[in-house]
Amino acid sequence: MPITVLGFAGSPRRHGNSETLLDWVLEAMASEPDVTVEKVVIVDADIRPCRGCNACERTGVCVQHDGMTSLYDRVLEADCVVLAAPIYCMGLAAQTKAFIDRAQVYRSRKYVLHWPVIPEERKGKRLGLFLATAGQAWDHVFDAALPSVKCFYHVAGVRDRDIRNLLVNRVDEAGAVERHPSARADAMALGLEAVVTLRERLGP
Amino acid sequence: MIRVLGVSGSPHRHGNTERLLDAFLEGAREAGAETEKVVLSSLSYAPCRGCNACHRTGVCIVKDDAIPLLETMAGADVLAIASPIYSMGITAELKGLIDRAQYLWARRTVTNTLEYSPEHLARHRGVFLSTAGSDWPNVFEGSYPVVKALFSGLGFTYAGNIVYNDLDRYGGVQGHPAALSEAKEAGRHEVGALLGR
Repeated sequence: MPITVLGFAGSPRRHGNSETLLDWVLEAMASEPDVTVEKVVIVDADIRPCRGCNACERTGVCVQHDGMTSLYDRVLEADCVVLAAPIYCMGLAAQTKAFIDRAQVYRSRKYVLHWPVIPEERKGKRLGLFLATAGQAWDHVFDAALPSVKCFYHVAGVRDRDIRNLLVNRVDEAGAVERHPSARADAMALGLEAVVTLRERLGP
Repeated sequence: MIRVLGVSGSPHRHGNTERLLDAFLEGAREAGAETEKVVLSSLSYAPCRGCNACHRTGVCIVKDDAIPLLETMAGADVLAIASPIYSMGITAELKGLIDRAQYLWARRTVTNTLEYSPEHLARHRGVFLSTAGSDWPNVFEGSYPVVKALFSGLGFTYAGNIVYNDLDRYGGVQGHPAALSEAKEAGRHEVGALLGR
């Protein structure tokens, strides 16, 4: 079965540390046969914050028409959703948080309207990879971001046990991740492991 | 005169979180303070670009409503930051503002041009107000470190959290038995703390 991978670069800075991690993961996955990868750059995608209007609780769709509109289906269609973001002020960069908040539509479908967010036959087969970078050396620098990421994957139909995190701290200035001793190898390994897992689940 | 500034980070007006903030500000006024409320959705600002120019200069290069607001916030005696919980965190609007305070972090730790004395911190008190529909007790946990980062940058003591979850069950903040009265009391208390009462 072909595998589709959708990656999101959530940093306002292009080709910075978190996007580099994403590129490594996507490159490793794309090197495998029958794997299609696509990358969306959130800061270029015109994704406005959630208005909190709760209209999606009645309709299952968002009232805003912007770059997110076409992404709603693409996220659900992907076998693997990779989200990369830098940590700013102990949390996800605001641009990434805006993207995650728009996933409220999935929550409304799942918990309010009781619609199937993804088809029954794809349940338990998809993966979510979260890649984050932070300048701070503190190991707990990622803690506050993880619940929002988990929330995003949960409502988008990726089980908790199917989320993999690659968290790299002590990288601040652009390019710092390239000098990190293990980040590149860890990212490539994560991408390859994800393909193996998906192959097992989806069949050859 | 004690100045109390409330910042409402909700995209929709007069919801649970803003009502909680209003109660806090009412209590502050009763205690003799002058209060002001800023609604983030009425302002225009971009999120941080991550350009790191402030790491060299201590100044943000983006000119919009964010920096003047952060300067106003720094000038308050009591700062009440309010946001509902969306996807286990504060709203993107409030996070966008907080990320813009990076220049203050840069002044404190990179350019070394800003330092807050213990006396300054004692005279500036920050509180976080939030509401969530969910009954999970841990629904606010992801917000605290981010709010702490903001208060550290602005030179405020993080005096406390006024947070209520499970509001879906109560039919909103007005249906909660204690939320609004406790928020009002907290407003009185914070002003009183600065007046030595």
